Amino acid sequence: MSESVSSSRRTLFKRMAEIIGGLVVWGQVRPAPAQQTVSPETGPQTVRVMRPYDAETPVREFTSYVTPNHRFFVRSHFGPPAPELIAEANWRLRVGGLIEHPLEFTLKDLKEFERVTITAVVQCSGNGRAFHRPKVPGVQWERGAVGNAQWTGVRLRDVLAKAGIRPSAKHVQLQGADRPVVASVPLFTRSIPLEKALHPDTILAYEMNGRPLPLLHGAPLRVITPGWMADSCTKWLTEITVQVDEAKGYYMQTAYRVPVTAIQPNSGLPGTSMVPVEAMVVKSLIASPVNGDQVGRGPVTVQGVAWSGEAAVAIVELSFDDGKTWEQARLVGEDEPYAWRQWQFLWKPKAAGAVTILCRATDAAGQVQPQESPWNPSGFLWNGWDRVAITVAS
Amino acid sequence: MMTRSLPLIGLFVLGLAGLAAMTAAQEDDPASVSAALAPRAEGLIVARCSVCHSPDLVAQQRLPKDRWLATVDKMKHWGAEIADDEAELLVRYLSARYHPAAPDHLPPFDHELRKAEPLTQEPADTGPLVGVATRGAGIFEHNCQACHGTGATGGMGPKLAKNPILKHDDLFWETVLHGRGPMPAWGSVLSQQDIADIHTWLLTK
Ligand code: HEC
Ligand code: HEC
Repeated sequence: MSESVSSSRRTLFKRMAEIIGGLVVWGQVRPAPAQQTVSPETGPQTVRVMRPYDAETPVREFTSYVTPNHRFFVRSHFGPPAPELIAEANWRLRVGGLIEHPLEFTLKDLKEFERVTITAVVQCSGNGRAFHRPKVPGVQWERGAVGNAQWTGVRLRDVLAKAGIRPSAKHVQLQGADRPVVASVPLFTRSIPLEKALHPDTILAYEMNGRPLPLLHGAPLRVITPGWMADSCTKWLTEITVQVDEAKGYYMQTAYRVPVTAIQPNSGLPGTSMVPVEAMVVKSLIASPVNGDQVGRGPVTVQGVAWSGEAAVAIVELSFDDGKTWEQARLVGEDEPYAWRQWQFLWKPKAAGAVTILCRATDAAGQVQPQESPWNPSGFLWNGWDRVAITVAS
Repeated sequence: MMTRSLPLIGLFVLGLAGLAAMTAAQEDDPASVSAALAPRAEGLIVARCSVCHSPDLVAQQRLPKDRWLATVDKMKHWGAEIADDEAELLVRYLSARYHPAAPDHLPPFDHELRKAEPLTQEPADTGPLVGVATRGAGIFEHNCQACHGTGATGGMGPKLAKNPILKHDDLFWETVLHGRGPMPAWGSVLSQQDIADIHTWLLTK
């Protein structure tokens, strides 16, 4: 047994105790309100969690059709993997499980497949979690954990076809290279049904808005499941396993599930039958004006975006009287299947004072954005009416 | 005037007296519970909870006690190194400060209440403290290993084995007691003896 003596420690400790008694400890741990920060890769975003980095896009950014990479929301469970794991020289995509030929691809190999580009909304399943009542645990996303980008890559089904799928296959498991700091935390292992994996629009993307996929968005390769929530869009993808069953483990069997039928708040836990979050629900956002803005009495252009999972946006309506009456906005700009639709409304304020603008969308399948979304224990799929509080100057 | 300032004085005394002074009546008032538990609990949040994620993930929740209990349990199950009594204190604190009706932006604690208490009182001045390496190994494993790696060879935090800082008592103690950037402050979690034990053990690595 070795022993040693910390001689100067005594006096030092006295000094420390005085300082600790003061502000030092507190300075570090006092919860900081969500703040705008500038990080080299992401630019201005509203940070929800510093480590692992989770940040949302300020909604005013959604006046543009495509969300720029450096503003696009960032969400992961463990942060990006160690750089050497995803460096082009080391990175491989392995395809295994119920297939004829196990395969391993470099990024260059993958680029031999037909190159496809899809503009699609990617949205965190927990976007809007902060609005559920009663409140639920998780990252308290408000409105900006969503974005619309152009994704370029290869069809997952082309890759799977090369491997040869066996008849018993039902699910495709997706694993990224990201790892928790402590090994006892479950990995973010997900799966999608074979049908979605074989859909011609499901891709493995290596470019985002015409640039190589940025590190925070899953470099060098991520899954894009257009129309579905982002929990299926595995980043830093390294392993694809074709199998009979859904993926095992916390992030598939417990997390990212919603009750099949609406339940009372704080009831039905556990035992309620839960299904994975998959398709997006119809939703719209007001991008301009933004909360707290002051506008003049002259005509004001109210604008924003609307999208749905598997149907086109049909109608966007606004209300300036707490939902008593609704007026239809004009759909403008690009009209692509999985992207969002921009809309505009020319508003002539009737009087000076505080106004809350409400917005709701309806899709071609008849889904209407509700005033409030059904409560669920983890706060997924929020799509309640969007609302922005502003003042009309006198 | 008198009656107005009374509650504040009460809080102040509570804050200083800490846990021991809490009575059943005060338990009912979330503000005084959280103020009294804060120094210890906030220290625990940095030391025990920020291994895997920054404490902002904790502070942004507004949950009732049962969900806090379930959350802390889940974290423990996933590998949070937290003793039962620490977990219990934390759940009481979290459900008093971050309850569903608490405002989105909580005001910082009153200046006077920001008294982080060392876990144990400084022992009577009976000469220099002697670290015990074998004890230090266990304390390191429980508190530091998640970030500094097995055998202190480095991980999310720097390698500590053979780290020059070990030869600079003052720097070592300052860093461990206060923390630095992502490195938690241990002053309200570990005793001086614990820290001396870790130090001694690190010197053998
Ligand atoms: C061993 C790693 C680890 C430790 C230590 C840890 N957590 Fe977590 N915690 C996680 C992971 C992983 C998540 C999920 C993160 C995500 O989904 O992005 C999480 C999420 C959370 C959440 C969000 C709600 C939820 O259920 O997802 C809260 C609140 C939380 N932790 C509190 C704590 C508290 C309090 C402590 C200290 C007692 C703690 N954590 C310690 C790993 C840890
Ligand atoms: C939550 C993760 C975490 C835990 C737990 C942790 N550390 Fe650290 N530690 C760090 C990080 C990160 C740094 C680097 C700080 C910086 O960048 O300034 C660090 C730095 C240090 C340093 C300074 C090293 C140098 O080269 O200057 C010492 C000494 C140290 N830690 C000791 C400890 C001890 C002792 C414990 C356990 C009682 C501990 N740490 C627990 C993350 C941690």
